[in-house]
Amino acid sequence: MDSNQINELLEKYWNCETSLEEEQTLRSYFNGQDIPESLKSTAALFQYFEREKTKSLDTSFDEKFRNRFRDSHKMRTLPLVKIMRIAAGVLVGVAAIFFIRQEVRKSYPPEIAETYSDPKLALEETKRALMMISNSFNKAEQGAEQIKRFNEAETKIQGKDQPESAKKEL
Amino acid sequence: MNFELFETRVLPAKNKLFRFAFRLLGSSEEAKDVVQEVFIKVWNGRDQMSEIENMEAWCMRITKNLSLDRLRSRKHRTTESLDESFNTQHDAMTPYETTEMGESINKINQWISALPEKQRQVIHLRDIEGYSYNEICDILELDMNQVKISLFRARNAVKEKFLKVNAYGL
Repeated sequence: MDSNQINELLEKYWNCETSLEEEQTLRSYFNGQDIPESLKSTAALFQYFEREKTKSLDTSFDEKFRNRFRDSHKMRTLPLVKIMRIAAGVLVGVAAIFFIRQEVRKSYPPEIAETYSDPKLALEETKRALMMISNSFNKAEQGAEQIKRFNEAETKIQGKDQPESAKKEL
Repeated sequence: MNFELFETRVLPAKNKLFRFAFRLLGSSEEAKDVVQEVFIKVWNGRDQMSEIENMEAWCMRITKNLSLDRLRSRKHRTTESLDESFNTQHDAMTPYETTEMGESINKINQWISALPEKQRQVIHLRDIEGYSYNEICDILELDMNQVKISLFRARNAVKEKFLKVNAYGL
């Protein structure tokens, strides 16, 4: 690149009309060899920019943060791992219970099952069963009536006896 | 954001953050402290930062804010620390560099350090770090016009210094 082109670019640079690529061209040129005497002072500016860019922190700086943040990250994720483990355990337990129940059901015949194929026959049988229950209820009701009468008689007798015993106490 | 993302998107920006903080504060120790604070801030708020596209620009913005907070609290002068010792890669300079180039570079450093704060920030981000205008707007929370005007003024202030040196050898 000849000095005329560089001067043109420099003019654009001072007017803030250069792109990042053009500024990089200037930086490369002025950090290279064979710079004309007239541009030596301007070269110092671009050399200064380049030199400033090399200022850096040593590697021990980010190593300290790596160790610190990596540990805290592990500590933060540990409870989540534990929760996941517990959840997995519970899931396995529930699945096992479900399958065992299925197997048990298969091996024992169900107590309630379809026993009648004819609906009329089933209705008759149901009526018969209900009548039997109804009769039993009636019998029990008669028995309960007798007990009720007995209880009433007992309370009446107790009611008569009470004043006499009270007199005796006086 | 997990640790791997932090390691790939945030940690590599450490030198840019350090240089920017140093540009604003003028103290390498304080600049280091600021970078540490930035990392801690980003790590602690990592759950909210997953949607940020340009993490580097975001970190640069936090660096700027933390550095300015420090500046406000102690009203530090950046020009005081030009001769501060660095733990940097360019410390070992040849005798030639320390005499010829070192002198010009120190002068340029003084000129840039003496620029108004906004101009100093913009010239650093553009000419040293090579950020685009949009990224600079994002980092400094300024509009495009303000960024371009600040850069124009900063570059022309440096250019005038060069002209004075060439004319009068100041």
